[in-house]
Amino acid sequence: MKIRLGSVLRNFLHKKELEKDLDAEVSSFVEMVAEEKFAAGALKAEAERQAKAECGGVEQVKQAVREGRSGVQLESFWHDLHFGIRQLWRNPVFAIVAILTLGIGIGANTAIFSFINSVLLRPLPYPDQNRLTMIWSELGNSSRAPASMFELYQMRQRSKEFDQIAGIWVTNRALPGKGDAEQGKAGVVTSNFLPLFCARPALGRLFRPDDDLENAPSTVILSHELWVRKFGGDPKLIGTSVPLGRLSAVVIGILPQNFRLMLPEDASVPPNVDYFQSIPIGPWEPDGPAFLHLVGRLRNAGRLAAAQAEFASVAAQINGLSGRTSIANYHLYVFSLQDDDVREVRRTLLLLFGAVAFILLIGCANVGNLLMIRARQRLQETTIRAALGASTQRLIRQILTETLLMVLLAGALALLLGWAALKGIVAVEPPSFAHLSHVGLDLRVLAFTLGVALLTSVLFGLAPISVVRHLNLAEDLKRGGRSATRRRGKSATVLVAAEVALCFVLLIGTGLLVRTFGNILHVNPGFRADNVWTLRVNVPDYKVLREVQRSLAELPVVQSASTVSHLPLDDAGNWYDYYWKDGAPASEQNTMMADDRSVLPRYFDTIGAQLIEGRDFTEADDAAHQHVAIIDDVLAHQLWPGEDPLGKRINVSDSPKGPYQFERDWVVVVGVVRHVQCHTLTAVIRPQIYLPYQLAPRPSMSMVIRASRAAPDIAASVRTQIAGLNLNVPITHLEPLSSVVERARAESRFLSVLATLLSVLALQLALGGIYGVLSYSVVLRTSEIGIRMAVGAQRMQIMRLVLVEGFVSVALGTAMGVVLSVVSMPLLGHLLFGITPGSLQNYGLITTALLLLSGLSMLIPALRAMQINPVAALACE
Amino acid sequence: MPNERIAVLQGTLDLLILKAVGDAEFHGLGVSRRIELITHGAFHVTPGSLFPALHRMEEAGWLSSEWGESENNRRAKYYRLTKLGKRQLVAETDQWKRVALAMGSALKAT
Repeated sequence: MKIRLGSVLRNFLHKKELEKDLDAEVSSFVEMVAEEKFAAGALKAEAERQAKAECGGVEQVKQAVREGRSGVQLESFWHDLHFGIRQLWRNPVFAIVAILTLGIGIGANTAIFSFINSVLLRPLPYPDQNRLTMIWSELGNSSRAPASMFELYQMRQRSKEFDQIAGIWVTNRALPGKGDAEQGKAGVVTSNFLPLFCARPALGRLFRPDDDLENAPSTVILSHELWVRKFGGDPKLIGTSVPLGRLSAVVIGILPQNFRLMLPEDASVPPNVDYFQSIPIGPWEPDGPAFLHLVGRLRNAGRLAAAQAEFASVAAQINGLSGRTSIANYHLYVFSLQDDDVREVRRTLLLLFGAVAFILLIGCANVGNLLMIRARQRLQETTIRAALGASTQRLIRQILTETLLMVLLAGALALLLGWAALKGIVAVEPPSFAHLSHVGLDLRVLAFTLGVALLTSVLFGLAPISVVRHLNLAEDLKRGGRSATRRRGKSATVLVAAEVALCFVLLIGTGLLVRTFGNILHVNPGFRADNVWTLRVNVPDYKVLREVQRSLAELPVVQSASTVSHLPLDDAGNWYDYYWKDGAPASEQNTMMADDRSVLPRYFDTIGAQLIEGRDFTEADDAAHQHVAIIDDVLAHQLWPGEDPLGKRINVSDSPKGPYQFERDWVVVVGVVRHVQCHTLTAVIRPQIYLPYQLAPRPSMSMVIRASRAAPDIAASVRTQIAGLNLNVPITHLEPLSSVVERARAESRFLSVLATLLSVLALQLALGGIYGVLSYSVVLRTSEIGIRMAVGAQRMQIMRLVLVEGFVSVALGTAMGVVLSVVSMPLLGHLLFGITPGSLQNYGLITTALLLLSGLSMLIPALRAMQINPVAALACE
Repeated sequence: MPNERIAVLQGTLDLLILKAVGDAEFHGLGVSRRIELITHGAFHVTPGSLFPALHRMEEAGWLSSEWGESENNRRAKYYRLTKLGKRQLVAETDQWKRVALAMGSALKAT
C-alpha cells in the first residue's frame, strides 16, 4: 500500500521525466528491433518499417503503459476535465444553451418543490400537531359553519375521543396601548385554545381556566410583533395593565416571534393575530350566535375515524336537547388539521409542480437532442481518437466527465435561480401562501432534479458511443464524418413531438388561467372602486360617527361619504349569523346564515352599489322607529323567489342596546341591492343583510368616501378635516378602495403571471428544439438535397421537404398534447372563472398559435435548405 | 517463425517475465527475446503487453530498473529482480506448478 501511494505521488509529480524515460525506452526498443532486421540483411528503410509494424505503434504502447500506472484514473480525470472545459469553451453557444436549459428546469423544480414541502409535507409547527382536528358544523346552506358557545359546551360534555375542544373567533378591535386607538386583529379564544398551538410563550404565560372565572381580571396576550411595535419589547410589561378600547386589561403573556395560526380559509382566521382575549364557555343561551371555529385535540392520533363517528352522534344529541331549537340537517364533521389546512392550496401547488416538471422534461429532451447532434458532429473527431488508440472505455469516461461538468454548472445555476425564485415568490406574497412564515430551499430536491438531468444527459451523451463501438474506422475516416445520416431521425422526431406535447399542455393551462384573470379584471364586484377612499375609525357612538360623516361630506372634492362595518373584499373578521323569514318552521330557523353589515345612510351611493328597488336608510331608521333592513338580491331570490320582498319580515341578530348585546329581532325589508362581492371577486359565499348602524352598533367601522374626480391628495384634506372636529377620532388604513380590490385579484394575477412565464419558457425551449433538430437535419442532408436539385427538384419542393419533416413532429406532438390536455385540464377547474377547462376557443387559439410559431421556427432551416448550392454540396462529398 | 505460437495466458505473463529475468538483467527487447528462447518460441510477447507489465511490476516493487548501454552502444533501460521479485517468483512458480498439476490430472481423467 505504501509503495502504491508513493508511486501515485511519484507518477504525478515527475510526470515529465517519466514520459521522457518511457519515450526513450520504447524508441530504443524499436531501434534495436530495426538493427536486428538490418543485421539479418534487410535494407535500412525496410528494416525500420518492419520494426515499427512489429511493435504495433509506439503511441499505443506508451498509452498502454500510462494506463497501467498508479493514479492513472485521477490523472485521466484531470485530462478529461480539462478537455471537457475546453470543449464547452470552444462551443459556448451549446454550453450556454444547455446549462441555461437545465439550470432553469432544475431551479424551478427545486423552488416549487420547496414550497410543496413546506406546505404539504412538513408537519405543522404545533405540539401534538397530528392530534389536532377542525370540527365543522353543517347546517342549512353552509357545510363549514362555526359553532355557538352552547354547542361547544355540549360537545365537551359528551366527547370521549377529544381531550380538548377549543374555539376561536377573530374580529377587528382597537389595539391595546396608549395613544391613537388603532384597529387590529383580535383573537377571541377559549382559554384552552392557545396551548394547542403554542408549547410555550416567549414571556409570561398562556390563558388558564381560572382566567374565565366571573371576577377574574380582564387579561390579554400579545403577539411578538405587537409587543415590539407598540411596547418597544419591554419585558416588564408582563403583569401590568394596559388601556384596551375604553377599558383596560392585564398583559399576561407574549407569544413567540414566529407564531402563526394556520387554520383553513373558511375559519376566517388570519395568520397574524395581534392579540388574544379569552371567553368563558358555559351552557348559556342554547340558541346563541354561532361564531366559534372549533379545533379539537384527539386523545389518540389514530382515532380520527372514531372521533368522526362519535361526533355524528354528538350532533344528534345536541340537536335533540330540550330548550334548544332543533336545526334541520345539523351535522358535525371532523377533519385532520394538517389535511384541512391546505385543502385549497394543495391543488394549486401540485399544478405548479406539474408545470415545472414539464419544463424540466422539455429541457432534458432539448439537451438530449443537443448532445446527440453534437456527438454526431464530433463523430469524425471521435473516430480519429479511436484510431489513435483511445479505448471505448476511455471515450465513454471522457463524455461522462464532460456531461458531469455541464450538469454541475447547471446545478450551480439552479441553486442561484431556485433561491431567487423562492425569494421572489415569497416577496410577491401570493395569498394562498400567506401562512408560510419561512420557506427554505430544499437541497434534497436539488439533488434529485440534478440526478434526473444527469441521467438524461448521460443517456443521450452516450448514445453515439454505440455508434463508435461498431464503427468501421477506415470507412468513417474516408467519409469525413457524414456517415450516420440514416441513423438520425426517429429519436429526434419523438423527442421534438414530446416537447411540443408538453408545451401544448402548459399553453392550454396558461390560456385558461390568463382568460380567468381577464374575466376577474372585468367582473362586476357589485360596487365601483374608482375614486373611492376608505379609512378605519374607532368610534364611541352614533353621534360621533354621524359627525365625521357630515364633515367629510362637506369637503369640496367629496361627492358622498358613509360608513360600513366591513369593507367589501377585506379579510377582516367577518360577522355572519342566522336569519329566517316570517313563518319559517322551527326546524328551518338557525339553518341559513348571511353576512351582517352595519351601515349609515348613503353607503350604497358611495361605493356605487346598485339599489335595485326600495329605499336607502335614513337617519330616522333607529331603534325607536320600525326596525328595518336592506337585503341583497341573492337573499331576496332565496326567500321569496318571484315575489316582491319589500315589506316582508326577516328575523336577524342585531344589538340596538349597544355593541355585543345581541338579540333576535324582526326587521322589515325596505330595500334590495345587488350582491356585493365580500370575500372573493368570483364566488357568492353568503347573502348579505344590511342594518342601520343604530340597530347594530359596532366599535370599529370603516369610512368610505367617493371623490368627484381622481384626487390623489385627498388623504391630507381628510386628515385635516377629521382633526378639525376635535373629537379625538384616530384614523388608520387610509387607502383607495381599489387597493383592496387589487389584493383580491392578487392570487389570480400571481397564477396567470407565473403560468405565462412558465409557458413562454416551455414554448421557447420547444421552438428551439424544433429549430435545432431541423437545422441539423438540413446539414446532414446537404448532399441529398444537392442531388435532388441536380436532378431537377425545384427550390419550393426542397422547402416543402424540410417543412414536412418538421410538421410531422409538431403534428404528432400537438395530437398528444390535445389528449394530455383533455385529461389534465379539469384539474384546473377550481382556479377558473368564466371559462371551462374544455373551452374549444382556447384549444383553437393555442393550436393555431403553436402551429404558426413552430412554422416560423422551421422557416430558417427551410430557407437555408433552399439556398444550398448543388454544385458545392456535391463537391463537398 | 514457429507456427505453434500461443497466446500468453492471462496471469502468466508476470511469471514468465520474472522467470526470464531471473538472476540476470535485461532491457525490454532482451526480456522479449529471452521469453521466446525459454519457451522455444511458443510465446511471443509484443511490446504492447510487455512494457505495461514491466512498468506495473516495477511499481509493485518486484523489478528495479536502471539506464545502461546495450551491446551496440545504445542507451537502454535494464531490469533486474528485487528481493521482493525473487520471493514473488518462488511463490508464483509454486502456485503455477499446483495449477498445472491440477489441470493435468483434470484433463487425464476419463
